[in-house]
Amino acid sequence: MKILVPLKRTADPDNANKIKIAAGGAKIVTDGLEPKINPFDEYAVEAALRLTENAKTRVAGDKVTIVSFGPKEAATNIRTALAMGADDGLLFHADDEALDGDLVARALAKVVETQKPDLVILGKQAVDGDSNQVGQILAELLQWPSATFAMSIELAKDKKSVIVGREVDGGVVKLKLELPAVITVDLRIVAPKSVVNNVTPATHVYSDGARYAPLPMIIKAKTKPIAEAPIASLGLDATLKSKYHTFELPPARKAGKKVKDVAELVGLLKSEAKVL
Amino acid sequence: MAIEESFLKSVFYGAIPEEMIFPYPEPGRDARESTQLMLESVREFARREIDPAAIDREGAISSAVMQGLKELGLFGATISTEYGGAGLDATSYARLIQEISGIDASVAVTLGAHLALGAKSIAMFGSEAQRKRYLPKLARGEWVAAFALTEPGAGSDAANIQTRAVRQANGLYHLDGHKIWITNGGFADVFTVFARTTALDARTKPKLTSFLIDREMGVRSGPNEPKLGIRGSSTTSVYFDGLEVPGDSVLGEPGKGFKVAMEVLNFGRLGLAAGCVGMARKLIELSVDRVQERRAFGRPIGEFGLVKDKVARMMAETWALESMVYLTTGLVDAKVPDWSLESAICKIFGSEMLWRLVNDALQIAAGIGYMGAYPYERMLRDSRINLIFEGTNEILRAFVALSGMQGPGRQLAEVSRAVREPIKGFGLLSDFAMQRARSAFGRERIHRAHGLLRREVVLFEEHVALFSKNVDKVLRKHGKDIAEMQYTQRRVADIASDLYALAACISRSTRAIERKGEEGARRELELTSAFANMVEKRLQANVAAFDGNDDELLKGLAGQAYLDGGYTFDVL
Ligand SMILES: Cc1cc2nc3c(=O)[nH]c(=O)nc-3n(C[C@H](O)[C@H](O)[C@H](O)COP(=O)(O)OP(=O)(O)OC[C@H]3O[C@@H](n4cnc5c(N)ncnc54)[C@H](O)[C@@H]3O)c2cc1C
Repeated sequence: MKILVPLKRTADPDNANKIKIAAGGAKIVTDGLEPKINPFDEYAVEAALRLTENAKTRVAGDKVTIVSFGPKEAATNIRTALAMGADDGLLFHADDEALDGDLVARALAKVVETQKPDLVILGKQAVDGDSNQVGQILAELLQWPSATFAMSIELAKDKKSVIVGREVDGGVVKLKLELPAVITVDLRIVAPKSVVNNVTPATHVYSDGARYAPLPMIIKAKTKPIAEAPIASLGLDATLKSKYHTFELPPARKAGKKVKDVAELVGLLKSEAKVL
Repeated sequence: MAIEESFLKSVFYGAIPEEMIFPYPEPGRDARESTQLMLESVREFARREIDPAAIDREGAISSAVMQGLKELGLFGATISTEYGGAGLDATSYARLIQEISGIDASVAVTLGAHLALGAKSIAMFGSEAQRKRYLPKLARGEWVAAFALTEPGAGSDAANIQTRAVRQANGLYHLDGHKIWITNGGFADVFTVFARTTALDARTKPKLTSFLIDREMGVRSGPNEPKLGIRGSSTTSVYFDGLEVPGDSVLGEPGKGFKVAMEVLNFGRLGLAAGCVGMARKLIELSVDRVQERRAFGRPIGEFGLVKDKVARMMAETWALESMVYLTTGLVDAKVPDWSLESAICKIFGSEMLWRLVNDALQIAAGIGYMGAYPYERMLRDSRINLIFEGTNEILRAFVALSGMQGPGRQLAEVSRAVREPIKGFGLLSDFAMQRARSAFGRERIHRAHGLLRREVVLFEEHVALFSKNVDKVLRKHGKDIAEMQYTQRRVADIASDLYALAACISRSTRAIERKGEEGARRELELTSAFANMVEKRLQANVAAFDGNDDELLKGLAGQAYLDGGYTFDVL
């Protein structure tokens, strides 16, 4: 079985408070923020690895390929995924501002044509743009079955279908998808028992979260191939369907105020906060 | 050996082999990327799994954390890929241990004893069979290594060990003795053990041999010792009660155990110094946060001059230490033959700098600094060990001074002997004086430093010239008695240390200017400049003290106190 995992290089969301807006609200400035793999994409990598290994070793014949559209530096982020255990990577050089969800999905559809994966597993959204579109558009373009916001994936023994759990209001919906298919994943996919491939012993407990790359794998990852090409080589119409107009930071929080007693509090809730 | 085989030993001759320190070593793109990935893994693991307060409180690293460290491959970090390790070079290893020390010093010490001492001794001196037998297990963390040198009667004076190994007629060695304060002693599976293979009587010149002793050969450990800091590391006695060990347990050549110990400790000290960088960075981070948050007299305390002064010193000294540690690991990775003085100096400078720094950080934090709920007091306790183990700073100062003055090839064995029975064969000194002629024609120059560093370069050049003259002078004056002149040795070692730190800062700042331009490298230049100011004062004081000092007065005071049995004065 072959799994394709798209991965985006994003500014470290843990430092989102350092984000600045360029003059006139033209764009977000992320200078000084550490670039990382979009966290949901990292979960997608983890899910793909769990689906293709027997606890620790890769199931013979299985493969996980990483693909990214972004700056040359994104090779480092692909390398991280290779160090986690993925097998190879593809990097299509593109300026982030010349991409939107639609173009990325169309580019992915092209990559799927050549790579012929059985599954595409994506993060549900990128934490910078928060668009939450690529997986859905891709499934539509490919005319493949899809499940979004997966919290669990179980691969059938015959590897012909998967059962995907989705958290919805009031419970969990389980969908059965015939492969090939597109899945987007949510945080819970990296819980210890979320991914079942019917090869890994049922007793094996994964640790909570995406794995850290162990040192020997990091060294090994140096020799795993990353093929690089300009995105233009995919021969797509580069016109964007969505455009950002202006960006603005959320209003700064005002300092709190200490009140003497309940009477004063009630007064302020009426006069200042106007909630009473 | 040409003097150019060691940067600092050359400086003792007044020579400046600048090609050794320029350009400042820089990891290649690949190495930088993989080191970065490792650090990310380690940080992420630590964020989720390591609780330094719990490790300190429980006096142990939990088995879950140990298991995680092993799964991360950290126990194989420096072991060659051929044996299943990650094969890190000295620079990447130092950067890794720096990171880990900033997270938790107990974890760093545990790993350091396993990698930089235990496994390193096997990788450097082991036969192929020994490497095959041990390194894969050590790399997986299936086995843990320890390094057992110290004994009750032999700490600094390591040559005086009493553990004895006697070869039997059947080819086995009979091993008898006991070691104290062995890191990882409670659970290590293989010990690099130093034993005397010559007779124990005082007339026989002691010869040491190193052995690889498996726990399963019958090694017994004492209980974990309660101690000031690094409480999560295991420190125990280790007993060899008349073990019969196979002849092929000998590590390296029989009788060459001292060389094994000294060469391995060179690595250990460099890792220790890198650890000091890591702890310093962490403390600066804590301090910078704290001083901007804590208010007094209506202002954040960070606005007060005396608080700024402390933070600024932390910055300048950490910059200097980091510069010298990674200059030295660069020398190691470039396969420069001798960096023993450089590594000893990094250890002395790093441990003492960190001790000042943790003291200042705690002072800035004040009340909360003293309280158990905050990390300062633990970090103060954890950092104290660095001045003691892997050679006390006193012993290392003597080593730096005497080894530098004796010329190449002399190791701690000679120093240690020299301190007990003044150096024999100090005839080398006349050669030394001759070689010094090289700088007699005036001072050696640095040509490769950037012009903006002119002041620092001149300071360095002038003090190198002055240093070699003073070294020459004290050697002529004291002759072989130099072995007993510890005040002079300390001056020599401290000057050598400041010169090395200065050279490292100059080289690194030059690289920064080349990379980022004058404006871009402004902050690096400011750090170097601030550090140079600190160094200049120390250098002047040390140089002046060669001629005018109160060494004898002080020695007298101590001697009298010994006679009196303490401080016998009283106002009553
Ligand atoms: C937590 C911990 C972990 C350790 N781990 C290990 C380990 O894994 N393996 C191992 O083999 N050892 C280990 N040690 C031992 C350590 O290396 C020794 O403590 C150290 O070498 C000093 O020896 P000592 O304590 O016997 O001090 P001593 O040698 O008794 O020295 C006492 C004091 O006298 C000074 N002094 C001694 N000789 C001279 C001299 N000639 N000139 C001037 N001053 C002198 C010393 O500098 C020191 O200040 C560990 C120690 C500790 C505390």
